Amino acid sequence: MEHKVTGKIGALIFRIFCWIYAGISLYPVIWLIFYSFKNNSEIFVTNPFGFPTTLHIENYIKAWSQYDVPVYFLNSVIISVATVVLTIVLALLFSYATARLQWRGRNFARLYIVLGMFIPIQAILIPVAKLVNGLGLSSSRIGLILVYSAINISFATLVYYGFLKGLPVELEEAACMDGANIFICFFKIIVPLVKPATATLVIYIFLNAWNEFNLANVLVIDEKLKTLPLGLLFLQGAFTTDWGAMGATMVIASLPTIILYVVFSKQVEGAMTIGGAVKG
Amino acid sequence: MKKILVLAMSMVLSFSVLAGCTNNSNDSSAAGQDSSSEVLAEGVLSNEEATLSIYAQYSDDDTKIPYDYAVEQLKKAYPNVTLKLEVQAQDDGQKLMTYAATGNLPDIYQVALSQIENFKESGNIMVLNDIAKETGFTDKVFESAENILYNEDGNIYAFPYAGNEYVVWYYNKAIFDEYNVEVPTTFDELIAAAETFNDNDIVPMSIFGTEGWITAAMYDVLATRWDAGGIAKLDNGEGTASEDAYKNAAEMMNKLVNAGLFQSSASTTNYDQASQMFLNGEAAMFLNGQWYMTDATATLGDDVDWMYYPSYDKAAYEEGKTAWSGGGAAAGYAVNPKSENAELAAKVAAFISEKYCEAKVMYRGTPLVAVNVDVEPENEFPAMMKKLQADLPSITSITKFDWHLTNPTFKTAIEDQTKYLLVADYSPDDFIAEVNNSLK
Amino acid sequence: MKKFYSNKLAIVLFALPALVVFSLMVFYPIVQVFIKSFYDWNGLGSGTFIGFDNYIKLFDDTVFKISNKNALIFALVITVFQITLATIFALVVSNKRTKGRDFLRVSYFIPVVLSVTVVCQLWLAILNSDSGLLNSLFKALGIDYQQNWLSDRNVAIYVIAFVNAWQWMGYQFALMLAGIKSIPIDYYEAAKIDGATTMQAHRKVTIPLLKETYKICLTISLTGGVKAFTEMFIMTKGGPGNATYTLTYLMYKAAFREFRYGYGMASASILVLQCLAIILIINWLFRDKEKKVRRDTRWNTK
Repeated sequence: MEHKVTGKIGALIFRIFCWIYAGISLYPVIWLIFYSFKNNSEIFVTNPFGFPTTLHIENYIKAWSQYDVPVYFLNSVIISVATVVLTIVLALLFSYATARLQWRGRNFARLYIVLGMFIPIQAILIPVAKLVNGLGLSSSRIGLILVYSAINISFATLVYYGFLKGLPVELEEAACMDGANIFICFFKIIVPLVKPATATLVIYIFLNAWNEFNLANVLVIDEKLKTLPLGLLFLQGAFTTDWGAMGATMVIASLPTIILYVVFSKQVEGAMTIGGAVKG
Repeated sequence: MKKILVLAMSMVLSFSVLAGCTNNSNDSSAAGQDSSSEVLAEGVLSNEEATLSIYAQYSDDDTKIPYDYAVEQLKKAYPNVTLKLEVQAQDDGQKLMTYAATGNLPDIYQVALSQIENFKESGNIMVLNDIAKETGFTDKVFESAENILYNEDGNIYAFPYAGNEYVVWYYNKAIFDEYNVEVPTTFDELIAAAETFNDNDIVPMSIFGTEGWITAAMYDVLATRWDAGGIAKLDNGEGTASEDAYKNAAEMMNKLVNAGLFQSSASTTNYDQASQMFLNGEAAMFLNGQWYMTDATATLGDDVDWMYYPSYDKAAYEEGKTAWSGGGAAAGYAVNPKSENAELAAKVAAFISEKYCEAKVMYRGTPLVAVNVDVEPENEFPAMMKKLQADLPSITSITKFDWHLTNPTFKTAIEDQTKYLLVADYSPDDFIAEVNNSLK
Repeated sequence: MKKFYSNKLAIVLFALPALVVFSLMVFYPIVQVFIKSFYDWNGLGSGTFIGFDNYIKLFDDTVFKISNKNALIFALVITVFQITLATIFALVVSNKRTKGRDFLRVSYFIPVVLSVTVVCQLWLAILNSDSGLLNSLFKALGIDYQQNWLSDRNVAIYVIAFVNAWQWMGYQFALMLAGIKSIPIDYYEAAKIDGATTMQAHRKVTIPLLKETYKICLTISLTGGVKAFTEMFIMTKGGPGNATYTLTYLMYKAAFREFRYGYGMASASILVLQCLAIILIINWLFRDKEKKVRRDTRWNTK
């Protein structure tokens, strides 16, 4: 009896912990929105956490007027979506080849690709810029998309490989018995089965491309091709920075992704469940 | 199914967009021929036609106002030259470096001294001696500012606009009066003042410890009390950190930190945070360059003033009034020698630098510019500036700002190590050892 | 079945595109990094070959030692924090009886969606020793404890590691959740019918089946910890002094602030080798157990 009571209390504490942690996770969004309506004085000295005392709408006006927000926004969308599509396609094909197909050197190839996760971007900044320039891609989006995809492939193959290894081979065996060839088997069986992994990867890669600053900073020369994170450059000085307007820029950049995530997370969840159901 | 549809659609969309923008649009190459026989209209320096790319700081009043003014003036003098601005990133020069490595340097770019050293070895920076003479820039530079025009090797690599500048020890007179604190002349008085302020919940001095240059400047201020050469002497390889002056300065900085001179979050405080503490009257003192006078006066009015650096005793204090921290360096607007319009770009760069000086005098309340310009300030210079101006002739020595140091290894070490001195338990001996290490 | 999996055309079509893109855009630059690590080079021009000099200097550099120690701390903190919490939260959210599970699931992931800059600025404000939320909280609770979270040289690295761990926990959580979702429900139900409590069922069934997911998570957090950079760059600039330097930060400093590009590349090369060692160790650690789990799985399905 006593055991049950302590169990109940334990469960309650545990539940409170889960909810408090969720609250802390959500807090940055609220904090950022408040922040974007404050001036430097409020942000740093008088009121770092509370509701803004006066709404400094001019932060948004300033952020919006510094650079062509719609163009930057569109570029970010195009580059992020293209990166996601290219990375997912390349990584899934490759992971299937290493996880299932029989060929010499597949383990080595897998390790080789994962190498990309180890290298800090700053180290390859100059070689990559030279390469993109040498290929004549410096004034197009393709250069950036290829680089982003190549970098994200490493992570994506790691996740896909793990998932594929965790899947039982019976379903494919059955398809093989039915006379399906490997391509049909891949598209009919594997692609739906890895949906949970795909769902998480899509979000992750999209966010990576969306928030990337270092490579975009050095690779994009053309004003018409710049992405949203580069907008921050207009507000950061050698000495002083307009933090309120920075906040506004960050809201403009991250609010759409947050909303998208919240709206589509139900679908993401759905995608995951289908994956489970097919298998179960 | 919907998801696949969306995916497919976005794929089609993105590929069509991709296809649309692979054409190389090269705006910076359309240069018109210049016919020198043409009669130029009044105020026009050249009718040459070109679009020049320019990489410059453009983010706050101190950088936007001069730039906008220069562009406006350029329209009159070079009516057919268009500038394409790319805003400089605060990225430790990564972008400029990458541009140099890939051959994408803009026609005109703002450059710091350490980058000049790096660029001149690899032929990425134009020697501007002839253009400087031709445009009369050389003659216009203040005699006292020649250190700002010529590189150590005797060449001109950049057109400067900032003159010799100074590290100024600001204080809030109102706070000092309120707590009956005298302006400290010695370190002992400074520590006593810090105690009084701390007792009353006033931060004695706010410092933006995330920036290595200000901690280096603080250290330099202390070091120059013992040796007027300051960190510049170390940078030039004329001494080591084991000398008494540098040891004393490190020990004093440690002592001041332990006496609570700075706010406790000093090492993670950024510029705006520290400045705001001073402007809001939460901090009694503040260290910054003289360029801060305009902004400080705008907020604090007559309450703000500057003081001579305190020293180890009264005599040294009086004597030290002429030895300042600060300085200038041969940096500013440089030109890409591989530019298709290099010659024109160089002339434009000289023109812009001169206009920057005009704008700084007229609108930014500072006479401390590189070029002798014939303009009147829009508003009177702040009282603090007048006071400094009166002192200028008697100043016998200045050092260097951190960003004017030429030895990059020493520069990084002095930034990191002086930041480290803000931590109360960091030992001055470690500081000296590490700085000496970087000088090897 | 072997024939089915040995389709030559399929192997080429599946594996080649990724290999080509990766080799060109990432591997070739990495090779450049290794080559330049043997040069005295300022980033421009051609430089001079100096053999292992950069490495010799590096091993003698006090900052190199600090960086390695920090990498170890960073990697351990984020691994323990993320894997523990991600497991707990993923199990809670996947339980159909948990109230408000949709809300929880979205919440836990939100920090991932924000950019690192936002998250770092937030924690800078919270951890500020003068006006920060955390020290104020201690004060409000009457606890006589004030800490200079980010300017204490012994504490700072743990605090930064925590910020990183906090932000990316959500991603590991999502991976775990996806992993749990792909476990057939029958396994778990079967265990419950056998009289196991929820906790026991998870320990005996769910977690062992998540081995592959754990392997992924471990790889991410360990390598992520070793090459940490952005948080230091925004929050402490490697400080106080050089107390929060990492190999990436050392590389960055050498290459872009000191124009010792070759030296920086030596640091980056060591970093790559360390990560490679880590992944080989992880693979080796998981190899035997992996086979065992798969056998168990099969045995269970029958």
